Amino acid sequence: MIDVLTQLGSGFLACLHPLTMLMLVLGIIVGLLVGVLPGLTLVMGVVLFLPFTYKMDVTNAIVLLSAMYVSGTYGGAFTSILFRIPGEPIHVPLLWDGYAMARKGQPARALGWTLIAALVGGLLSAVAMVVLTKPVAQFALSFSSPEYFAILVFGLCSVIALGSGSLANALISLALGLLIASVGTDAIYGAYRFTFDLPILADGIEFLVVMVGAYGVGEVLSRLERGFSSKPLSEAGTTRTELPSFSEVMKVKGMLLRSSVLGHIIGIVPGAGATVASFVAYGVESQFGRRKREMGSGVVEGIVAPQSAATASVGGALIPLLALGIPGSGATAVILGAFMLHGIQPGPQIMASSSAMVYTIFASIFIGIIVMCVLGYFAIRPLVKILDFPESIVSAFVMLFCFVGALAIRSNVTDLWLMIGFGVLGYLFERFRFPIAPLVLGVILGPLAEESFMNSMISFSNDWTVFFTRPIAGTVMALAAVTLLLPIIGMIRGRRSGDPTPGGTSIPAEPAAR
Amino acid sequence: MHLSRRDVLAGGAALVAMTAAGGVRAQDYPSRPIELVVPWGPGGGADQLARKIAQLGEPEIGKPMPVVNIPGGTGATGMAKLLANPADGQTAAIYIADSHALLAGKNPRWTMDDIAPVAVLIQAPSFIFVAQDSRFKTWDDFAKEAKEKAGALKVATLGFGSVDDFTLSFLGSKGVKVNQVPFSKPSERYVSILGGHADALYEQAGDVGSFLNGKQMRPLLVFGAKRFEAFPDTPCSKEVGFDIALPQFRSLVVRGGTPPENIKKLSDALAKVAASDGYKAFLKEQFADANSFIDQSGAGAFVAKQLEDMKSAIKQAS
Repeated sequence: MIDVLTQLGSGFLACLHPLTMLMLVLGIIVGLLVGVLPGLTLVMGVVLFLPFTYKMDVTNAIVLLSAMYVSGTYGGAFTSILFRIPGEPIHVPLLWDGYAMARKGQPARALGWTLIAALVGGLLSAVAMVVLTKPVAQFALSFSSPEYFAILVFGLCSVIALGSGSLANALISLALGLLIASVGTDAIYGAYRFTFDLPILADGIEFLVVMVGAYGVGEVLSRLERGFSSKPLSEAGTTRTELPSFSEVMKVKGMLLRSSVLGHIIGIVPGAGATVASFVAYGVESQFGRRKREMGSGVVEGIVAPQSAATASVGGALIPLLALGIPGSGATAVILGAFMLHGIQPGPQIMASSSAMVYTIFASIFIGIIVMCVLGYFAIRPLVKILDFPESIVSAFVMLFCFVGALAIRSNVTDLWLMIGFGVLGYLFERFRFPIAPLVLGVILGPLAEESFMNSMISFSNDWTVFFTRPIAGTVMALAAVTLLLPIIGMIRGRRSGDPTPGGTSIPAEPAAR
Repeated sequence: MHLSRRDVLAGGAALVAMTAAGGVRAQDYPSRPIELVVPWGPGGGADQLARKIAQLGEPEIGKPMPVVNIPGGTGATGMAKLLANPADGQTAAIYIADSHALLAGKNPRWTMDDIAPVAVLIQAPSFIFVAQDSRFKTWDDFAKEAKEKAGALKVATLGFGSVDDFTLSFLGSKGVKVNQVPFSKPSERYVSILGGHADALYEQAGDVGSFLNGKQMRPLLVFGAKRFEAFPDTPCSKEVGFDIALPQFRSLVVRGGTPPENIKKLSDALAKVAASDGYKAFLKEQFADANSFIDQSGAGAFVAKQLEDMKSAIKQAS
C-alpha cells in the first residue's frame, strides 16, 4: 500500500511537468467540446485527436487521450440540460430530470449537481482504480455473453421506470426502438433485415440519427408549433452558479456512492461503457431509490445517478485496459491503439515494466477530474446566459448542430433525411404523449442485447437456462424481473384504488410548458 | 438495355482515361491529399496500419493522407465510399482478407474489376491460440478431443462467412469439428478464452501480442506450409495434415480503372515506406511476415489467388 502511494506520488509530480500539464488541460477542453457537440461522439473525438499524439512521448499521448475520455463523459450534460439535445448517448438520462429541473427555472442548479456528481463519481472511481487494478481485472474475466445479456435486459427493463404513466405506451415505444435497431445486416449470420435493397439501410440505422432526430429536431418542431413562446426560458435567466451545499450533498451520499460503484463496475466489464452505466444507474435509482416516485420530474437523484456513474465508468474501464490489455469501451479501444502505435502493449507486464507511466496516467485522471470541474464551473455562467437569447435563435443553432452531428457520423446525406424523419416521429411522440426515451434506449441497447443473446445461444448449444443458472447472470436477471414486475403490480393496485398515475410520475415531455 | 457492371466500369474507365489525358496527368498526381478510407473502426489492425502508412508515407508521396474510418458491413460500407469516388487514385482504401472473403460468398457488393490493388502491405498467418493454463498442451490433444466429441469444443471467431469460418469449416470436413462462437468485438473474443468461456481462439498473433508477451495465451497451431519463426515449437497445419493457408492480408487498393501511372507512383512511394526501419519494426510488432510487401506488379495476382484459395476451401468444406 505504501508502495502504491509512493508511486502515485511520483505520478503526481510527473503530471506537473509543464508539457504533460498542458496536454492534460488541452485534453480536458477538447473532451468538453466533443461532449457538447451531438453527433461527434467521444470515440470519434478521441480518434480524430490520435494523429496529433504520434510524435508525442507515450505518457503525454495517453494523458491527453484519457483526459479527453474523462471530460467527454461530462461535456454533454450541458446540452442535455439546457437544450434537450444529448451531446453523447451517455447523457440521454439527463434529459429526464436535468432538463425538467432547468425548465423549472433552475438550470444553474442542475448543472451544479452534474458537476458534483462528475467530481465525486470520478474521484471515487479513480481511487478504486488505483487500489483495485490487479484483483479486479481478474473478476472481469468471469463475464461472458450470458452476463452481458442479463445486464442489457436489465437496462431495457428500466424502460418501465423511464416511461410515462402509460406502461403500454412505453412498451410500444421500446418495441419500435428494437425494430429500428434490427434494420440492417444481422451481426451473426450477415442476413439483411428490412433493408429494402437500399445500400444505406444495409448498414443499419445509426442510433445517433435516431437520438439527434427524435430529441433535437423533435424538440425544435414542438417549439415551432408553440410559436417559440416558451415562458420558462425567459425565467431561466438566473445566471448565478449554484453548487449544492455540503449538507445537501451529504443527504444524497448513499445514492452517490451506489451510482459511483455501479458505474465503476460497469466500466470494468468489457463491452459496456459510460452509456450503459448511465442508463443502468438511472434505472436502479428509479426502481430502488428513496425518491423513485418523483424520478423524471426534475429531482436531484435523476441528475446525480447517471452523471456520477458515467464519469465513474472511466476509472473502471481503464482497469482492464491497463492490467489485461482489454478495452472496456470504445474510447479505451482507441487508447489501446495509441499504446500500440507507441510500441507498448498493455497487459499484466506493464504494471511491472512501466509502472512509472501507469502511475502517471493514474495521477493524471485525478488531476484531470479536478481541472474539468473547475473549467465546468466557470463554463456554467456563460452557457446559462445562452438561455437569455430568443428561443427562435437558439432553435436555429440547435438545428444546425443536429445537421452537423448527423452528417458527421458517416458523411452520408441519407442520414440527414433519416434524421428529419425521426424528428417528425419525435414530434408526434410528444404530441400524442408517447415517451421518446424507450425508443432511443431500444435503438442503442437492442443490437448489443441481440448479439450477446445469439452468442450465448451458440456458445451453450441453445440452452436458454444459462441466463438463469449462472450466478451473476441469474442475479441480474432476477433484478430485471423485479424491475419489470413492480410497476405492473403497482398499476393493478392503482387501478383498484383508482389512482390514475401509478408506478411513478410522468416523464416531463413538456410539463412546464403546457 | 441492360448494362452489366463491367460495361459501366469499362465506360467509366474510358471516361477517366479521357480526363486523365486532359487533366490529372501522372506528374500532377497526387494533386491534393489522398483520402485513405479504413472500412473498419478505429483502434483495430486495419486502422493501425492506415495510420502508420499515413505517417510514414506523407514525405514519400508529398501529400498528406488523411485517414477516414467508415466501418460497417465487414468493410462493405467503406468500399462503397471508395467506389463512389472518381477512379483517379485520390481516394484509396485499406482492403483486408475479411472483406475479400465477401467476394467468395453470395451476391458480393463489388467484384475484382472494381478494385485495383496498389500494394500488399501486411501478411500474417493465422493461429489457433489457447489460454496459458489450458488443459490442451499440444495441437494433438486438441484435435483428439475435437474428433471424439464433435462440436463440443468452442472456438472464438470473428464471425460466419469470414476467413475464420472457412478455415474451421475446412478442419470440420476433415474430422476436427468445433463449435464456432462468433464475437465481432475483439475484446470479447479475447476475454472468451482468458475467462475460460471458449476453449480456443482463431486469430493472428499481432492482435494478441500483449497476451503472448504477458504469458496469458500460447499458440497451438499456425496455418500454413511452414512454422512461424517467432514460435518455432508450434506445428504448422501442413505438418498435421491440413493443407490450408488463408493468411490475414491487408492491402491498399484504389478504384478499378485508375490510370496505371498513378497506381505506379503510389506503389513506388509505398515501397519506400516498406523499406524503412519504422515499417520493419511495425511488421515485427504485428507478428507479420517480414517479406509482406508486394508492389503493384504482383499485388493484383496475389489478391486474386487469395480469392481462389478461399473458394477452394469452401468447396472442400461443403
